[in-house]
Amino acid sequence: MKRAAPTLIVLVLALLPLLGMEPRVYLTLTVAGLAMGMLIFLVASGLTLIFGLMDVLNFAHGALFSWGAYAGFSAALLLDDRAGWVASPSVLRNALALLAAVAAAVLVALVLGVVLERVIVRPVYGQHMFQILITLGATIVLEELIRIVWGPNDQVMPVPASFQGSWDVMDVIVLRVPVIAIGLGLAVYAGLLLLLHRTRVGLIVRAGVESGEMVQVMGHNIYRYFTGVFALGSALAAVGGLMWAVFRQSVSPAMGGEQLIFAFIVVIIGGLGSVTGSLVGALMVGLSYNYVAFLLPKAALGVNMALMVLVLLIRPTGLFGASR
Amino acid sequence: MTTPVERARQSDRAGRWRQPTVWLRLAALGLFALVPLVISSFQATDLAIKIAIFGALVASYDVVIGYTGIVSFGHAMFFGFGAYAVALSVGRLGEPTYGHLLLGYLSGMAVSAAVAVLIGAFSLRVKLIFFAMITLAFAEFAGILAVQWSALSGGEDGLSPKLPGVFAIAYDGGRILGIPVTGKLVTYYFVLTVCTALFLVMARFVASPLGRTLQAIRDNELRAEALGVPTFKLQIVSSSFASVVATIVGGCYVMWVRYVNPESALGVPLMLDVLLMVIIGGIGTLWGGLIGAAVLLAARLLLPDLRGLAALVGGSEIVQRLTERWLLVFGVLFVLVVFFFPKGVLGTARAALARRHRAGAAQEG
Repeated sequence: MKRAAPTLIVLVLALLPLLGMEPRVYLTLTVAGLAMGMLIFLVASGLTLIFGLMDVLNFAHGALFSWGAYAGFSAALLLDDRAGWVASPSVLRNALALLAAVAAAVLVALVLGVVLERVIVRPVYGQHMFQILITLGATIVLEELIRIVWGPNDQVMPVPASFQGSWDVMDVIVLRVPVIAIGLGLAVYAGLLLLLHRTRVGLIVRAGVESGEMVQVMGHNIYRYFTGVFALGSALAAVGGLMWAVFRQSVSPAMGGEQLIFAFIVVIIGGLGSVTGSLVGALMVGLSYNYVAFLLPKAALGVNMALMVLVLLIRPTGLFGASR
Repeated sequence: MTTPVERARQSDRAGRWRQPTVWLRLAALGLFALVPLVISSFQATDLAIKIAIFGALVASYDVVIGYTGIVSFGHAMFFGFGAYAVALSVGRLGEPTYGHLLLGYLSGMAVSAAVAVLIGAFSLRVKLIFFAMITLAFAEFAGILAVQWSALSGGEDGLSPKLPGVFAIAYDGGRILGIPVTGKLVTYYFVLTVCTALFLVMARFVASPLGRTLQAIRDNELRAEALGVPTFKLQIVSSSFASVVATIVGGCYVMWVRYVNPESALGVPLMLDVLLMVIIGGIGTLWGGLIGAAVLLAARLLLPDLRGLAALVGGSEIVQRLTERWLLVFGVLFVLVVFFFPKGVLGTARAALARRHRAGAAQEG
């Protein structure tokens, strides 16, 4: 019962706005909110894993989000120019273009993640203040590099033709991109759970979250797992960034910074180090943001802050956080 | 009967005027006081007083980050509270008077203290790292609020208040010793006085028993707690104190610039500047803030010239963008300083002095 309580609260909260709007509008908003939540989850899960295992608060996570978006943007643009895969009506080619974009984002983020962990983060393990400062410095550099390579202005993200538009399900308009985002988010969540709970690597990572020293004593090179988890988290952020770009149909250098704030709020709500916590937190944030943006547009970001404050007051370690 | 601690304090006090750093500080103050009298260029005066303002802001941030060991990203927000409170109170409540000015300062300080206590109360309980995340979220929220609530804050356009009495641009106090006394000059000395006073208060704060206790918490929180120190309460006291100081500095800033908008006074860019300044000057040195502010502000003043230089070198677009993005240079500088120069200018100088001192003592003994 105690474990089910947060889920119950989420469900009640999700149904509450029905009082103030038409059911059709509600369904549309719910789909949008779930999609937004899933995308934030992609960012927050990496952040929470990195913190849980390595005790590092990675401020550069937002920059990796932007880099993923821009890498995918470039790949999609290239494929469109050379082969016309994005504009073509063939679903297969569209899917391939999207997959190529995702692959580009993941690849770039993996490389960036490994470099960041090895060069920037490793020398400052255990020193929180310097971790924050140095990853913040890395954020500035990465964001400025985007402005130099791709230019400082917003650009239109080419979205594959078959993923644009919407389905009409019993008079409810369901946009296609959010549905894809929700599917992707669920797949990533399932994949992460499988990885963490069904594989040997996951076992070691979970043990590392509990006690890194002990894992080292047992003869595992924990630093190799640090690099791996950092790279994985970076890749998740990059996929989140790319999907966000597809969702919004645009890329901008500052997009990561805005999402980082959301991700922080989610991680605080869900509890640092808990993947399930960040899923629940992300859905809460995504849904409440969309409902409130519809009912009271000006209070949209404020509701997330209020949610965070409320959770902190009731459970200072977050909904699923370990109390240590 | 005097205790050893009292005796040490007495000898400290007796030798106070023999320390070279005291004279260095007085010389710096004299320099600041002389700038508007000797140099007639507005740019130099502007730079000097901005160094004083941002030096005080950075020092107040140093109280949090360097002496208490908490990383806050909301410090610029408190600066913005002060700036907006003064600008609103002087600009929106009818004809500006000194009372409005005072009201602006006081209300800004009250709001800052309340918000700082609130943020501290539910974020410092768990982990210091929460503080960084939550203050960042709050700062972002305050920035958005200032832009959205344009009926009150003027939105992106900001506010440009008119100041009362002797601070007004139009004020003419005749000439004293051949120097025309203008509103701008009066404001300069007012701001300089306030900043000096704030520096003295902060120096007293960090050297007080409370400040010493805070440093003990910073160095080993578990141990301090075991000794019975109420760490949570003292951390809140420290962050609120620093926030109130930042608020006063923000009021000074708006009095000098006579303009405030979300980007220049509230936003994350300002916070990055402050972070860079505190790192360049030296974390945990207090006075290093002046050095950090001086380096960064002077560099920014000279950067347009640098851009002209780059235009001579090559016309490639990448080079063009590279020079436009001065923030990149600062970002790289930031990382390098944190890596190789973590004590900053003043911290490194102090460490070198201490080494020489110890070497000298060893030779004598």
